[in-house]
Amino acid sequence: MKHNTQEDELNVANKKLIFQNEEKEKRAAELIIANKELIFQNGEKEKRAAELIIANTELIFQNEEKEKRAAELIIANKELAFQNEEKEKRAAELIIANTELAFQNEEKEKRAAELIIANKELAFQNEEKEKRAAELIIANKELLAFTYISSHDLQEPLRKIQTFVTIILENENNNLSDKGKYNFHRMQLAAERMQQLIDDLLAFSRINTTDHKFEKTDLHLIIDEVKNELRDNILEKQATIEASDICPVNIIVFQFRQLMYNLLSNALKFSNSEIPLHVIIKSSIVKGSLLNEASITARTGTGETDKTMPEIFSPGKNYCHISVKDNGIGFEPHFSERIFGVFQKLHSKELYKGTGIGLAIVKKIVENHKGLITATSELGKGATFDIYIPAG
Amino acid sequence: MNVKQLHILLADDDTDDCLFFKDALEGIPISRELIAVHDGEQLMQFLNTATNRLPDILFLDLNIPRKNGFECLSEIKQNKKLNTIPVVIFSTSFEKEVVNKLYKKGAKYFFRKPAEFLQFKNIILHVLTLLIQENISRPAKGNFVLTVEKSLII
Repeated sequence: MKHNTQEDELNVANKKLIFQNEEKEKRAAELIIANKELIFQNGEKEKRAAELIIANTELIFQNEEKEKRAAELIIANKELAFQNEEKEKRAAELIIANTELAFQNEEKEKRAAELIIANKELAFQNEEKEKRAAELIIANKELLAFTYISSHDLQEPLRKIQTFVTIILENENNNLSDKGKYNFHRMQLAAERMQQLIDDLLAFSRINTTDHKFEKTDLHLIIDEVKNELRDNILEKQATIEASDICPVNIIVFQFRQLMYNLLSNALKFSNSEIPLHVIIKSSIVKGSLLNEASITARTGTGETDKTMPEIFSPGKNYCHISVKDNGIGFEPHFSERIFGVFQKLHSKELYKGTGIGLAIVKKIVENHKGLITATSELGKGATFDIYIPAG
Repeated sequence: MNVKQLHILLADDDTDDCLFFKDALEGIPISRELIAVHDGEQLMQFLNTATNRLPDILFLDLNIPRKNGFECLSEIKQNKKLNTIPVVIFSTSFEKEVVNKLYKKGAKYFFRKPAEFLQFKNIILHVLTLLIQENISRPAKGNFVLTVEKSLII
């Protein structure tokens, strides 16, 4: 039995080898197929790789581009951020400015409202002033009418009373007792007085309506004319009227003659019976500023000037200062204003005749010349009248 | 003046003044006839309708109703038939401007009615004497205003 076993074993081994060979051939065929497949796949992969390389290059380029763009955007972004910041700053500033403007606006509205009120007030005041002016025009007309009435209508019945009295005194003289005659005589005097008052009032009221022509005039001429008119009176009183240092004046001649007449006849009337009357008339040109100082000092009674006092004279203007000084009976200082009032008298009419219109007329004439008059005196020590009128 | 009787025309609305005028004439030894009218219209109507004889003199008050002395004087002086009548104006008041205007308008004389009756009488007498003496030619302006003093001279 040994031989057989060997052979069998060879057979089996052979068979195994054949199978294995077959298997290997199968495997090789599969491998060939697989290999072909792999070669194809390899080819495909190579194609794909080439495509990828191209795509990759493209991507690299795009990437590069994007990086560039990103860098640009970063710069742009920075710029925008800066601008944003600036705008925010500006916005903050604008908010402040806006608030300020709103405040100013409010203030302006307030101011506008105030102005509207002030405007209304002014309009009202203006209206009031116009009303007042209209009233003054009416009052003036009434005054003129009154002047006419007093010049005619009031005088008429008065004159008739006087005429009837004279008729009675003439025709009924024998039928009247002495007392009756005396009373009629008193009645006549009273009527005459009334007549004089009306005449004087009229003379006073006419002062501003007549002749307003200003003329450069030599005051000497006027003084001489008045002296001539008062000649008898001057002789009677043995008076000297002296005019020295006289400057030319710019005046309404007719009115100034009246003024000089009133002042001089006043001086003659109120002369001192114990000494002959001596009147000194002087004039000079003075600067308004100097007069203001002088008048303020005079009014405050101290050497100091009081700035609250209004200035009477235009500081830059020249004034003509005319003074008329006498050595007559004078008057107490506290009467220095009153004597210029209409019908104001310091003495009874029995003692000194007249109605008390003379100095009122003088004052009105000075005022017509846009001037000022003052009187200074002490009882028994004469009186001085100072007149200041604009020169030239 | 060769007339036996003076025709005097008075234009004055005031009764008392008319009476004074009449009384003043009483004492004057001049033959005359006095006619009085009391307003301006009456005066002009009287003058315009006077057929036979115009007055020898007119005493005209300045303040008469309806037509005042000024207007009457103007009308008279502009009327050829009437402008030879001497017109004497009188008034209670005396105003320089008024008197100047009257002189310009052709009035003969102006006087202010005096308070004393005797003075009034003297002025009337003075005017009438001048008229009779045919001396009433228009005076120089200086003598236009009659005053008591001037009247007393004759």
